[in-house]
Amino acid sequence: MAEIVIDIRDIRVEAGGRCLLHVPALRIEQGERVALVGPNGAGKSSLLKVLGGFLPVTQGSVSALGRTFGVTGQQTLTAAEWRQLRMDVGQVMQGLHLVPRLSALENVVLGALARPAAMPLWRSWLRLYPQSIQREACVALADLGLGNRLHTRADQLSGGERQKVSLARLRLQRPRLILADEPTSALDPNATQQACEALLAVAQNATLLTVVHDPALLRQLANRVIGLKDGQVVFDVSIDDLSTSLLNDLYDDRKPAEPTPHAAQGWERTCAKSPRELRSVGLASSLHERPNHA
Amino acid sequence: MNTTTAPDSRPWRSRGRLGFLGLVLTYGALVLLCLFTLAAAGDLSWGRNPWDNLLKSMSEFSRPSFLDLWFGNERLEYRSEDGTLLRVENRREVEASFLAALGRATWTTFQIATLGSLLAALLALPLGLLSARNLRAPRPLALLASTVLDVSRAIHTLVFGLVLVGIVGLGPTAGILAIALHSMGTYGKLYAESIETLDMGAVDAIRATGASPSQVFFSAVWPSVLPQFVSNHLYVWEFNIRDSTILGLIGAGGLGLLISEAVSLFQWSRLASIVLVVVILVTVFDALSRRIRLALL
Repeated sequence: MAEIVIDIRDIRVEAGGRCLLHVPALRIEQGERVALVGPNGAGKSSLLKVLGGFLPVTQGSVSALGRTFGVTGQQTLTAAEWRQLRMDVGQVMQGLHLVPRLSALENVVLGALARPAAMPLWRSWLRLYPQSIQREACVALADLGLGNRLHTRADQLSGGERQKVSLARLRLQRPRLILADEPTSALDPNATQQACEALLAVAQNATLLTVVHDPALLRQLANRVIGLKDGQVVFDVSIDDLSTSLLNDLYDDRKPAEPTPHAAQGWERTCAKSPRELRSVGLASSLHERPNHA
Repeated sequence: MNTTTAPDSRPWRSRGRLGFLGLVLTYGALVLLCLFTLAAAGDLSWGRNPWDNLLKSMSEFSRPSFLDLWFGNERLEYRSEDGTLLRVENRREVEASFLAALGRATWTTFQIATLGSLLAALLALPLGLLSARNLRAPRPLALLASTVLDVSRAIHTLVFGLVLVGIVGLGPTAGILAIALHSMGTYGKLYAESIETLDMGAVDAIRATGASPSQVFFSAVWPSVLPQFVSNHLYVWEFNIRDSTILGLIGAGGLGLLISEAVSLFQWSRLASIVLVVVILVTVFDALSRRIRLALL
């Protein structure tokens, strides 16, 4: 069996008295291509934020790339451990965030900030980046067709170009796990295709978790699909078992979030419990007292 | 992210058009109260003959003293009442030496404003960074920094100047320190606001690469806010040039000293020369700084 990259044990995220996310158990293996689907507010972004360490959980714990963290104050990583984890976890965020006043090239170089061998601290302070890194960034941008935009300021790039720059930055970061939150939102069909290809190229030796809305992209980006609704996992199936009715039910806001029979297979694979038991567990929410069956 | 709106914790806050009308009426009542209490105390007088005084001052004002450089009487004779010649004065020479003094004072004023602004900008930098809410400095430190900034902004340059003249003595040093202490508050506030308008998404994106806080600061925060900081600096500097012209009134050096002399001797034509210099100085600096600020953005 391949290495477990992500192991979620019964996490719950609450904000303002409302449960944003509740995942009893979820395991993702090295090299998997996982797509998160679900309507707005289903908790997809929250899940990615938890994995990237940007959203603290209120219950449970998460292991990502062998580092375990949980409720703040009980099971936390030191600042240095967080940084190491974040270096290994590449994130593509919603909204194409680049540093607006830096050039495309400099924005790409920023991906290598945390690679200590590549980037001495004083050089990163003065923004005098080593030649080797700059060359690497040039190659990364040229591969994405931005070879002639190296010195354009990021705030003068188009949406598609910005997305490509952030993917090139991801490449310089060399992550082992990639969390991509709607990497193709705000892109036209052509740019979407290019961005998907770039993302897959970067993720060649990494595990990839993507939030996708476009069903057409699912087959390209994923071999496993997890459906989220109202902060709960509704189904977790391989791409071959994904049916249109499953997706339609997911996006139908009249149907409440409940694990459907379809999901049983996925659920059992990840936590070896019957769907019936899971449903009661999800409602009872006294999960940390449940005996460890693993 | 779901943020539920907190219930209004300020029950006195009025809402809607009626509430706004109430605010306007309260304001009107306040203005009337100020007017009537002053009038009742008899403090709302215009003096004995305002029109004559105004015309006299205006006519002297319209003949700035520097014109004497060319048109002044070369042999102005001062005689006593019985006609004996007391003193002969060459108006052109006297005026030339006054203009030289004016030039020196202008330079002093510029020096005070420049050095004071720089000192303030440097002092305010850590305080502004600490008090910017989105950089999430430790809470007690942030509170302390914003309190220091508020206090220094609340105390006027002149008040600082009066105190400092008592400490470091008469002269430009007191002026520089007074400017620095007051505009530190302005700088800190402007810095903090520049930082708070930052795109935190970009900052988080750099944090997400595993960069250390110092790297995040120098890669994502600093390049974005530096142009705004420079723009803020030019703005406050310009403001301080205006401010430092009156610092001489309290003995802190510069143009203010000449102003107070001219006013106490009722030499309105000299005051006109001084004011003209101030206007030119400020206008030129304003035009220059606007150019630079536009080029930066």
